[in-house]
Amino acid sequence: MYANPVAYVFSCFFVLIAHSAMLCNIFFNGRYDDVHQIAVIGAAVIILDIAYFVAIVAFRQTSYALDFLLILIIGMSVIFQSCFGQIHLDVKHYITCIVCLAASKGAYILCRNHKLLQDKKMYFYGAIGVLILITLIFTSAENMWIELGSFTIQPSEFIKPLFVLACATSIADQQKKHKILFINVVYENIALFGLMAAICLLQVKSHDYGSLPTFLSIYAVGFLLRICYPKAKFSKKKLIAVGAVILVFVIIGLKYAPDYVQHRLHVDIWSDKTGDGYQQSQALIGVANGGWFGVGPGFGALAKIPAYDNDIVFTTISEEWGLLYALMTVLTIIIITAIPLINPARSYFHGTMSTCICAAFLVQMALNIWGSCNLIPFTGVTIPFISTGGSSLMVSGLMIGMLMACQSPVFKEPAHKKKQEAPEPAWRWKE
Amino acid sequence: MNSLNLILCAVAAAALDICILVLILTAYREKKSSRINWHRVSNDMELAEQDKTYELGCDEVLIGRHASADIRLPDLSVSRYHAMLTVADGVWTIKDIGSKSGIFVNGELTRETVLHENDIIKLGNRRLLFRKRRDGNVR
Repeated sequence: MYANPVAYVFSCFFVLIAHSAMLCNIFFNGRYDDVHQIAVIGAAVIILDIAYFVAIVAFRQTSYALDFLLILIIGMSVIFQSCFGQIHLDVKHYITCIVCLAASKGAYILCRNHKLLQDKKMYFYGAIGVLILITLIFTSAENMWIELGSFTIQPSEFIKPLFVLACATSIADQQKKHKILFINVVYENIALFGLMAAICLLQVKSHDYGSLPTFLSIYAVGFLLRICYPKAKFSKKKLIAVGAVILVFVIIGLKYAPDYVQHRLHVDIWSDKTGDGYQQSQALIGVANGGWFGVGPGFGALAKIPAYDNDIVFTTISEEWGLLYALMTVLTIIIITAIPLINPARSYFHGTMSTCICAAFLVQMALNIWGSCNLIPFTGVTIPFISTGGSSLMVSGLMIGMLMACQSPVFKEPAHKKKQEAPEPAWRWKE
Repeated sequence: MNSLNLILCAVAAAALDICILVLILTAYREKKSSRINWHRVSNDMELAEQDKTYELGCDEVLIGRHASADIRLPDLSVSRYHAMLTVADGVWTIKDIGSKSGIFVNGELTRETVLHENDIIKLGNRRLLFRKRRDGNVR
């Protein structure tokens, strides 16, 4: 039973208030021909909110803070996406948001008990292998998606949650060292490094350099926590060596990157406004045009630019809703990643899992925002929960479900592993 | 946009701000209840020495001499990484993780054993009592 019913009621109420305030903003400041469109968006968002509030009670979690933040950001996402260019409910995005919510609860149920997952770690490696093969066979550098009717799936996205699980499950085996010649090695670390190398090669082959930092951040955080496990294993020398190796790889990568990447690194967007700098220059003009409070939902000009709803979505929100709203969207995602700091995980497994997920969310968000604001080269990475894209939203849902599992964990041995308790001595004194 | 609409925008943004603040407060309230839940999961146990008590705050607790162990016993007879306490289903287990002097539970040398209330654990020259958690002012 949830211990904070008052907090639950207040949280539900304020999420509804926040969404209603956004809908009022559309009504007074938006561009619409028919007021029914706003009513449809409002009904869709409010019904989704209430349905989720009712559904989560059945899960009997210790913590619901992430659920409320998730539904808050999902509602915001539906409202934003339904207002770009013109005001009408984006049904496709709405459906993918529902899938995202369902995926989050599925991942929550699967990841609650890490002692169960620990036995299944070989399946994670296998699933990643299968996804790498699917990506190699069915996709190409030009088209990374597999089309299923009106929906498209990007298989490489699904490697992210599985890779997080592989990092987290490997942490418990850090004490199982094996001596090869004169060096103590942990087989798990070698397997994980191999996996990381395979994923990197896949990303390079697919020309998806934008996702590379996300995978590297997951691996870096996982590696950092592995060499700190248990805490006594912390070694500054190892950390410095790892940092130096990463730096060398980054320098080599930048020096020998393909021509089109080199071009993106050095492009001056203002002198190439119709070429490679088109999206970024228009995006920055849009941000400037929007100011603090935006030009109004539906009035934005960025909706005519390619990838306005995923790659440069931050600037599209800035233009239509204002920089204040765009920054608060970012703040909401940052708060989602900060929840594990308020309520820390009670196991190394859940600690590793939550840290890897937070790293992935923050890196993805930073790449998108900095890329669209011309602070770094344009990458085409999505903002979790806000950008459109079925795979991206579903993977974000899976990952936040894993974060929820870290907040409400279960510590139970699998039935086949239950230990036979030693009989208590008859002489033991009880208080 | 006229000034009324600007005010409306600001109000909508403020509603979002307040909502985020309320959700942070909810997270802080849940912290307290999840601590209570943890006491239930961990069977409300703790380790006690003559003048010290050690809280068992996560499902894997490292005991050793090293400065960054969860429970630090600064005694040369205790190994740097001596023992690991783990919990599942409210049952605590102690496991030797390669110590020099071994683990004695109620006087018996062991590699891994389930712990019961009031067990005496001897690590090197240090003796720890595995007992129910007490209030700070009760000895």
